[in-house]
Amino acid sequence: MKPKADPQLVFLVGINLLVMLCAGVLSKGAFIDPYNLQSMASQLPELGLLAIGVMLAMSSGNGGIDLSGIALANLSGVFSAILVAKFISVDSAPMLFTIAFAVTAVCVGVVGGVVNGLLIARLGLTPILCTLGTQLLFTGIAVVLSGGASVRVGAAQPLMELGNGLLLGVPLSFLLFCAVSLGIGGVLKFSPYGIRLFLMGTNPKAARYAGFAQARLLVTTYALCGAVAGLAGVLIASRNVNVKWDYGQSYLLIAILITVMAGVKPEGGYGRMVCLFLSTTALQLLSSMLNFMQVSNFFRDFAWGALLMIFLASGRYALFDKATDKLRFYLSLVRSPPVPKSHP
Amino acid sequence: METELKAKPTTIAVAALLITASVGVLNAQDKPVISTVVKISGIPWFNRMEVGVKEYAAATPTVTASQSGPATADAAQQLKIIEDLVARKVSALAVVPMDPAVIEGVLKRAMDRGIVVVTHEADNQKNTNANIEAFDNAAYGVALNEKLSSCMGQKGKWTSFVGSLGSRTHLQWVDAGAANAKKYAGMTLVDAKNESFDDANKTYEKAKEILRKHPDIRGFQSSAGNDVIGIGRAVEEAGLAGKVCVVGTGLPTPSAKLIESGAITAIGFWDPKDAGLAMNKTAKLLLDKQPLTDGMSLGVKGYEKVSVTKGPGQGFLLVGNAMVIADKSTYKNFLF
Repeated sequence: MKPKADPQLVFLVGINLLVMLCAGVLSKGAFIDPYNLQSMASQLPELGLLAIGVMLAMSSGNGGIDLSGIALANLSGVFSAILVAKFISVDSAPMLFTIAFAVTAVCVGVVGGVVNGLLIARLGLTPILCTLGTQLLFTGIAVVLSGGASVRVGAAQPLMELGNGLLLGVPLSFLLFCAVSLGIGGVLKFSPYGIRLFLMGTNPKAARYAGFAQARLLVTTYALCGAVAGLAGVLIASRNVNVKWDYGQSYLLIAILITVMAGVKPEGGYGRMVCLFLSTTALQLLSSMLNFMQVSNFFRDFAWGALLMIFLASGRYALFDKATDKLRFYLSLVRSPPVPKSHP
Repeated sequence: METELKAKPTTIAVAALLITASVGVLNAQDKPVISTVVKISGIPWFNRMEVGVKEYAAATPTVTASQSGPATADAAQQLKIIEDLVARKVSALAVVPMDPAVIEGVLKRAMDRGIVVVTHEADNQKNTNANIEAFDNAAYGVALNEKLSSCMGQKGKWTSFVGSLGSRTHLQWVDAGAANAKKYAGMTLVDAKNESFDDANKTYEKAKEILRKHPDIRGFQSSAGNDVIGIGRAVEEAGLAGKVCVVGTGLPTPSAKLIESGAITAIGFWDPKDAGLAMNKTAKLLLDKQPLTDGMSLGVKGYEKVSVTKGPGQGFLLVGNAMVIADKSTYKNFLF
């Protein structure tokens, strides 16, 4: 028997192809020329990483969400840029600088994530309020550290390469995003941690009685969220040369939209990395298409809001399942009268 | 009936084809494209700039000129718009950066791709062919502050507003203003450089806070285009119109009511329409490989004799003389 295809996955693949086709035709091919594909591929990793963070938090259930992602990404970039520049000279040791910068930023991310996790797991704070609070906290620290201005990350060659370089025509930042998606996706699917996370998200009470170390699971999850936020901070720095506390304030809604569009259940317990990946690319394609068509940016905000509502509704009422069931039914009707082989 | 029903999908298909074809034709035009990207869409200041861009487009049929900008004041959103325009390979970009530092990278990629880059309000932008300033920033800050201090009788507490701490011109204005106020022993600057994010409501809240914190405040000097409206509203609601001096960048029409009531003392501005025209004309000059020379005229009011110097990067710094400071008696000459 053929396994039933995930309707969400089918839909996301479809929308990716559809947008690419439409935009390609409308722009007379300019949309699908290699430069634009590269440009889009290098625009999406920072948002995609933030969406992975939101997905992880959501999967943990009990209203889990991470609103502090972009704030933590900015803080990681700002903190690391200021600290590392004090000890390592960009010009004399660019490779060392890059590694130190990236490691410090990810560490700051992990620390921020652990703070979130401890507040939620130990003090029992509601995730949405807790991360809203830490979002302001992280932003505040970044403002104080940088004095409100943007911080220049030295132009270290390896770092620039990470943000702007290509490997076989594919942007390095995109490859990094793919690797992180694969890694975390694999952990979620195959490791005991991932299985426990989804089980806990499905039914926290049952997980408690089954003796899961819930606090440890939560802290690990939010630490992982923080780590990807820190990585997003590294990518932002590598692309823009500068980091600033208020960069990407509009990313929050978009990261949540990506997650919901990927079919991650807001109430926890379910989420597929491949869907998240395709959802990220779909949104980037849509966004770039609107820019190519010179559609007003207010329409984009409207469209994002509308998409979010539609996908929340469709998740609630399993619209995709019903739609694919119907489609399958019609297909079976078409196929059902078997054509006799003897007839020409 | 049946034919009508049948006709419907066909009509839709034909309509869809026509739309596709017409958009295709629009894109197929080989005219050079000049894209103006502003900090935020839909606020009076940049709506007025769009008037200039459209006027330029209408007067110059040999190019396609249009304006776009993010719906929210976020440098990341502006960055994405520019990234996509660079990928679309427009001929020239005319950018009013939200934060010059954030878009350095993409402007470099644009120039590497052979796109002409013109900026405005960013005299520290390295990756640009030409940055245009309406006037000398320090002189403007001093002029605003002079107006403020004469209204305040050269004494009392005053404060300053900037769009964001990354908006370089705003900082130059308030810094020059603060330096000017030091001449007068009676003037004290308190809680300087409040961030307004160019949002009249946020400015209004901030101004109310300041009025509570410093009941004896006598003056406000603001920078972003919507600030005077927010501050003026707060001052008027506190019943302090005419008692507290409000001087800052603003546009005449949106500020008119508050200028009449005395809640706004004076507004300083340059006409964003002319700035839009000047940016597009400069972009066209550069596209035509024309040289930029000191003292040249861009053919726009206030930019008849621009000073051209070397900028911080490869490009040039163009400074015009388009400053206007208008109060109750003169603002009607500039209604837009």
